[in-house]
Formats: sequence, structure tokens, C-alpha cells
Amino acid sequence: MFKLKKLIPYLMLIPALALMFFLMIYPIFWNVDLAIHDVEISTLNKVWDFIGFKNFIQIFKNERFLESLRVSLFFVLGCVTLQFVIGFAIARILVEKIIGTKIFRILFIFPWLLSATIVGYSWRWLYNDFSGLINLTLMGFNIEPVPWISSPNVALISLIIANVWFGTPFSILFQESALLTIDHQLYEAAHIDGASPFKCLTKITLPLLRPFIAINLILITMWTINIFDLQLIMTNGGPLNSTTTASLYMYKQAFEQGKMSLGATVGVILLAINLCISFVYLKLLRSERA
Amino acid sequence: MRKKKKVIRFVLFLILIVFTIYTLAPIVWVFSTSFKTKAEANRFPPTIIPEEPTMENYVFLMNNSQMVRSFFNSLIVVIPATILCVAVSALAAFAFSRYSFAGGKTLLVIIMGIFMIPITMNVIPLYLIFQRMGLLNTYTGVIIAYQVLVIPLNIFILKNHFDTIPKTLEEAAVLDGCSTFQRLTKIIMPLSWPGLAISAIFTFRFSWNEFVLPLLLISDPDKMVFQVAIYNFLGLYRIDWGHLSASIVFGMLPIVVIIVFFQKQLIQGIQKGSLKG
Repeated sequence: MFKLKKLIPYLMLIPALALMFFLMIYPIFWNVDLAIHDVEISTLNKVWDFIGFKNFIQIFKNERFLESLRVSLFFVLGCVTLQFVIGFAIARILVEKIIGTKIFRILFIFPWLLSATIVGYSWRWLYNDFSGLINLTLMGFNIEPVPWISSPNVALISLIIANVWFGTPFSILFQESALLTIDHQLYEAAHIDGASPFKCLTKITLPLLRPFIAINLILITMWTINIFDLQLIMTNGGPLNSTTTASLYMYKQAFEQGKMSLGATVGVILLAINLCISFVYLKLLRSERA
Repeated sequence: MRKKKKVIRFVLFLILIVFTIYTLAPIVWVFSTSFKTKAEANRFPPTIIPEEPTMENYVFLMNNSQMVRSFFNSLIVVIPATILCVAVSALAAFAFSRYSFAGGKTLLVIIMGIFMIPITMNVIPLYLIFQRMGLLNTYTGVIIAYQVLVIPLNIFILKNHFDTIPKTLEEAAVLDGCSTFQRLTKIIMPLSWPGLAISAIFTFRFSWNEFVLPLLLISDPDKMVFQVAIYNFLGLYRIDWGHLSASIVFGMLPIVVIIVFFQKQLIQGIQKGSLKG
């Protein structure tokens, strides 16, 4: 009877752990398994040819894949920087409680609640060359319309703007609640000592928020690396692959080209990148608690 | 000095207004397009309030049986997914909140670590696994797949809520012969309904919005969920912007309902869930 009691918490965890194992851990093994075989969607249910690390060698020689890594890097850097800087600035203003803070907060959170489908199509319509709101506004000011998502030079930037719109609310909410943890008396004391607002930011706010900032940055980095539904809907990776990030490349290899193994190989590489970031995140959490 | 402060506050307020415009403009623009005729949607200069408002886009949408059907398909999938997810998470949260057991803390950290990794990483093997298990093109398959989106977050939110309920209540109940399961269902869950509401909202939001998983797991047009149906309905290159806008507004409906009714819980939930990590 005593032993049975000890088992109770584990029994309660079984459903949750089983689901997470089945959906998150178990597929990773399949992913690796696919990556070391040569499987196409047509040979999925036949015997898989074992080819070892050939897929990895092949993928790193593939110009398209390397290009997609560059696109990913630019996309992630742009999105994460903008989302964080804007999110932090807006959160900093919100905690000043100027007027209507509650209303602003609920308005700002709205984009984060929408789906990638809805965000993607909405922005496609905004970016439309001839009748989209942005170009119509530009034309209203006699400015030359911009081929937002139809020119390979601009499309990635347009995609970043849309994703920043989509993702910034998370950083606003996160940083706002982080800012609220700071004791206001610190600022008053600094004010009496004659510290400038800029000094307050660099000497009080940022150091105190360091762990929150790190967590926030890492979370949005991981989300941005892996997102591909927004690209799929807004640009379908084009024009001229200028918006094909590594994650979208993975999806397209597997489900449009039918090259399951190559897609899985990209998946394994992305997973490794994710795990590195996750590891850093857990390390930071630990050091914060210690 | 006072004056300077007022000026600063005014500038900050202006920044908020500008950001509000950036946030709302796309939504307002789509909303207004959805009530425009085809000619007006493409007219220059653009109108924000339609001059000849029309319901034709919505009528078109309502007459498209696949779109209407997909809306209900989404509900068929999302509602059981939400119930299952909250139940499973509550059980796990109860274990984490009320028992100290070997490996408990490590497990909690691992669960949160898993939450960081987006499911999109796993789409290729998941497709394969679901195919082998015969779960492709079934509601069950999608309901199971949706679980992973929010279980970790829900466990976290619910654990924080359960922790705030005093244990003395349960001790009294146990003396009266209350079983472990009853402690959860009769005492803790009724007392932490705000937490349950938040996790239900989160599950609903994530499942309703999910696009990649149902795109891959369901190809049968009769079982398609709304997000995928929009994608198929609009095609990739030739888009009728009026129809598009109407379907976007349609897809936003459940989310708007959530915002209107649960805004307070929602914001607290996001802030609590994200910060106590």
C-alpha cells in the first residue's frame, strides 16, 4: 500500500508524458532514421536504402540549402531585433501608465492571437502591387509604388515587417510584466542622485532585466527559426527563392519535391540548432535561480 | 520641469498612437475590404468606410459549402482537443503541485524545455508515423497532434494556480474519506476555474490557429479544417480580395469573441505563464 502511494504522482503524469513523448521525442528518432536513409515519398512504404551520412554531405554542398540558411539568418536577425526593440520600447511606455493603458494593451495583443494563415493573407493584400493599402497610400503621396512581395530584393524585408507585426505583442507583454517586477524606489533614489533617464535605463533597468531579456530573445529566436507557414502563404518562398528560409526549404523538399530524406536531414540540422539554443536557455534559467 | 515632463508624456502617447495604427491598419483594411464590391476594392484612392457596402463576399462564402463545413470541422476538432488537453494538463499539474517525488523538478524543466521546440521541426516524421498508424485523414489524429502545442504551457499555468490553494482544505476532505481523484475534481478544480479558463483559452487559440499540422495530416476535403480550407479556397496566385477578406474576418470571429469576453484572464495568463519560468 505504501509503495502504491508513491506511484500516484507518476500515474497522473503518464497521459501528459505519453502524449509529449509520442509527439516530440519519438518523431526525432524517426527524423534521424529518415536522414540516414534514402527515402522518397513514393518509396515511403518500401524498404529504405541505408546511405549513412551521404544526405548531410549532399545537403551542405547544395547551393539552394546554403542560400536558405543565409535567408534564415537574415530573417531571424531582422525579426528578433525588431520584435525585441519595439516590444521593449512599447512595454517601457506602457508601464508609464499615461492614459488608456488597458485599451492599448488589448489592442496591441491582437495580432498575436491570429493564425499565420490570416496574418499571411492579410499582409499579402496590404502588399498588393496595385490595390494594396500600402502602395495606394504611397501613390497618394506621389511616391513610386514598391513591389513589396514581387521583387526578390524587397520580399524578405516585407516578410520581416509582417512577422514583426505578428510576433511583437509577445515581447510587449513579456517585457511589460518583467518591468513591473522592478522596485520603483530604485528609480526614485537614482533620480535624487541626479541620474539621467538614459543612465537609469543602462544602469538599473537593463541589468535587472537581464534574465528576462535573455529568455525573451531565445524564445522568439526559436519561434522565428522554425516558422514557415507565414512564408508559405505570403510568398511561397519566392520570388526567386528570396524568402525560402531553411525551415520552408525543409517542408518543400519533403512535401513538394517528395524527398523525405533530404527534408528530414534539414530537420535534423535545424533541430541541432534548436537544441543549442534550448540548452543556453536552460543554463540561463539555472544561473538565475542560483 | 513640469512642462518638460508633460511634453515627454505627450510624445510617448503619440508613439503609442502610431503603434496602434500599425497594429490596427491591416485589420481595419481587411475588415473594410470584406464589405466592398470588387470594383471598389481595387479603386484609387482607397476608401476606409465602403461607399456602397455589400454583403456579397459573405454571401459567396456562405454558399461555399466547403468553407462552411470546414468551419464546423474546426470546431469538431478543436473542442475535444481543448477538453482533452486541459484534463491531461490538470492531472499532471496536480501531481507537480501536490506531490514531491523523485525526478519531479527535472521532469518539469524537461517539459518546459520541450515547449521551446516548435512542433514544425517534427512535421516530416509525424506525417510518417501518423500514416503508419492509420491516423491520416482522421479527426482523432489531429486532436492528438494538437495536444503537443499547449500541454507544457497548460501544466505550468495550472500548477501555479493549484499552488495558491491552501492544502488544509484537502486535508479536511481526506479525513472525511475523499479519494485522491476527488480531491482534484471536487476541491482543486472548482477553486481554480480562472486557471482552467486560461488554459482552455490558450488551447483553443493554438488549436484553432494551427495550420501546418492539419495541412499535412488531413487531405480529405470533407474533413479539412478552416485554416487549411482558406489556403485551398484561395489558391496560390489568383486571389479575389473581397472573398479573401470575408474569410479572414470569418476566421477571426472565435478569437474576437475570446478577446471580448476574456481579455483580463488572457493577459494575466500570458504574463503569468511566461514569467514564472
